[in-house]
Amino acid sequence: MSKRHSADAIGRRNFLKAATAASAALAAAAPAAAALASTPAAVGNAAPVPDIAAETMPPPADPIQQTSSGGDFMLDVLQSLGFAYVTETPASTFRGLHEAIINYGMNQQPEMLSCTHEEIAVAMAHGYAKIEGRPLLVLAQSTVGLQHASMALYNAFCDQVPVYMIVGNTVDANVRGLSFESAHSAIDPAVIVRDFVKWDDQPGSLQHFADSAVRAYNIALTPPMAPVLLSVDSELQENPIPNRAGLHIPKLARVAMPQGDLGAVAETAQQLVKAENPVIVVDRVARTPAGMARLVELAEALQCPVVDVGGRMNFPTRHPLCHTGRSGAVISQADLIVGIELNDFWGAVHTFGDRIVRRARSITKPNVRTISIGVRELYIRANFQEFQRYQEVDLAIAADGEETLPSLIEQVRRLVDAERRSAFEARGSRLAAAHQAMVGMWRNDATIGWDASPITLARLCAELYHQIKDDDWSLVGNGIRVTWPLRLWNFDQHYRWIGSSGGAGVGYNAPASLGAALANRKHGRLSVAIQGDGDLMMTPGTLWTAAHHQIPILYVMHNNRAWHQELMYVQAMSNRHGRGLERAHIGTTISEPNIDFAMMAKSMGVYSEGPISDPHALAPALTRALAVVRKGQPALVDAVVEPR
Amino acid sequence: MVVAVLGLGPAPAAWALDQPKGDLANGQKTYLAAGCWQCHGRVGQGGLMTGAAPILAQARLPFAAFKRQVRNPVSDMPPYPETLLSDKDLADIYSFLQALPGRRALKEVPILND
Repeated sequence: MSKRHSADAIGRRNFLKAATAASAALAAAAPAAAALASTPAAVGNAAPVPDIAAETMPPPADPIQQTSSGGDFMLDVLQSLGFAYVTETPASTFRGLHEAIINYGMNQQPEMLSCTHEEIAVAMAHGYAKIEGRPLLVLAQSTVGLQHASMALYNAFCDQVPVYMIVGNTVDANVRGLSFESAHSAIDPAVIVRDFVKWDDQPGSLQHFADSAVRAYNIALTPPMAPVLLSVDSELQENPIPNRAGLHIPKLARVAMPQGDLGAVAETAQQLVKAENPVIVVDRVARTPAGMARLVELAEALQCPVVDVGGRMNFPTRHPLCHTGRSGAVISQADLIVGIELNDFWGAVHTFGDRIVRRARSITKPNVRTISIGVRELYIRANFQEFQRYQEVDLAIAADGEETLPSLIEQVRRLVDAERRSAFEARGSRLAAAHQAMVGMWRNDATIGWDASPITLARLCAELYHQIKDDDWSLVGNGIRVTWPLRLWNFDQHYRWIGSSGGAGVGYNAPASLGAALANRKHGRLSVAIQGDGDLMMTPGTLWTAAHHQIPILYVMHNNRAWHQELMYVQAMSNRHGRGLERAHIGTTISEPNIDFAMMAKSMGVYSEGPISDPHALAPALTRALAVVRKGQPALVDAVVEPR
Repeated sequence: MVVAVLGLGPAPAAWALDQPKGDLANGQKTYLAAGCWQCHGRVGQGGLMTGAAPILAQARLPFAAFKRQVRNPVSDMPPYPETLLSDKDLADIYSFLQALPGRRALKEVPILND
């Protein structure tokens, strides 16, 4: 790293800035300057033109070209990690790495994706990782950019998703030039987000960068997965490399995932086989395609109901042992509850009254036994409370759920004798009948208000599924967790669903869905997202990125013209006081004027239809929009629907 | 619990004695003005608030129980005292909900069998 500590020296950054500014000023003022130069006596009170003088002076002796840069080496390191894409909102503090990616790397591996906001860049990485199983790279500025990105990083942290982020920062105050360069520098930028990134570093040399880049990747991908952050000095990116041959790129280790202690796993298997009414409750188990298959295998070996909280695509919705829709019934009757990667165990076994006096009540039997398996025990931070209320359990196995399933299945199979197998089969028959009755009830319920306008959510979801069911579809976003897809659609592959934001931070759904669609693209999958209006207004520029990079996805608006959950909360507050609802819409609705999302999408190059409030017009609009998506382009259908 | 009752089988014949004969038009108007639809849907199809908001179309619930739930809810539902919703308006809403079309035969909506 070159150093220019003399206060008199013109730093390279300052020189470049000055040269750029001089050129711009010269271009704007050229005719006048020419006149001034020819008639010096006529200057009078006019301002001096120092740039002209500077241009006529001999150039400094500084080098003006270079054949290598730290950014090139950094790209070598990043390419060794296999990043397919980098999302970014451009900023001067990572211009060195930016240039290396597009010119030295020829914009391949990683390919650069332009985003109009850093929150979009990170949320795209969030969604991408949940389909791809590995992170993409995010580039941002270290102060203003990182603050924009912070909300999306928080969501990814809560959702235990690896996001790999690099921010550009100018460490040395002596090389900062224009005033914004100081405002865009920090001595410790990561402090902004340190509570919700798993690890961060600010390398002091290129070798330090290489070591930390590989270390960060391993940390991000080791459960519990989480975002990591590197703050990379702009001088380190831009300056020539003194000795490239002396730099070493560490190899990326294969990480063996933490499995449960065999004794504890054996005890869990014994309890599961012995129990008369066991329940398995899962949230973020399936982090690879193998996860769902393993969970099905365990459930079938036991003929045990599974309640899927839905943080990942854990269990097929039409499997007779899927009892998510009967969670209260099966959990309240259980004599054993095994929570696997269940972040909110407390919430799964309690009801809660959101009343003036807040009350919680356990719904479990008094002598129920409880076991948790998950990585939450391995890593927890103090400040943000995403780890939920404390739930006492009988046995806590600190291990990765998916990785522990094979040994648990093996132990269960070893313990099941003919008598238990017979009992399991009888239990399985009862559960299958209950599942079937539940699905039948949902289908009947979906007919209510079938022809109503605004369109019911049941009809919206049924119409959409009817048109995609024969495709290799993937529901990459469902902002407010509309329940109808889980009731009506056949979720039978690991990529059918990716879970939600994690931190319930609005602004996730549109960009995370796009990131997942990006990962789905190479597989030829049809990506669809149910998109809330409030969420899209947080990150509307997502639509431009979708169009610009031709990422196929269908956004179907769940346009209820409100932040409806908040409206219902204000309604509840108003009624507590007996004050009526005349003003509950104030601050909670998105109307007057209504937003024309179709026009908005169209303005950014996205095919669109709507607003559609006539249920009979919905199916034809979906057909036309899906034709666009199947050709590889994004589309949006603005459906004006019932709020819930 | 109201939520449980709403999901049970056909209404007992004795309920007929309990049913008010309300003004359907006023019931619909009040149902919308009072914000019931925000959680339960404009056609009583049910929805979500902090938990499930029950289906109200043709709700299998006696009027007395319906009134008790509205005035003094057992769940997270906002309470509606008489100052906000008169007994007459409440009866009209009940009648409106009972008169809603409710569920249709599945064969009329074949895509629900996908």
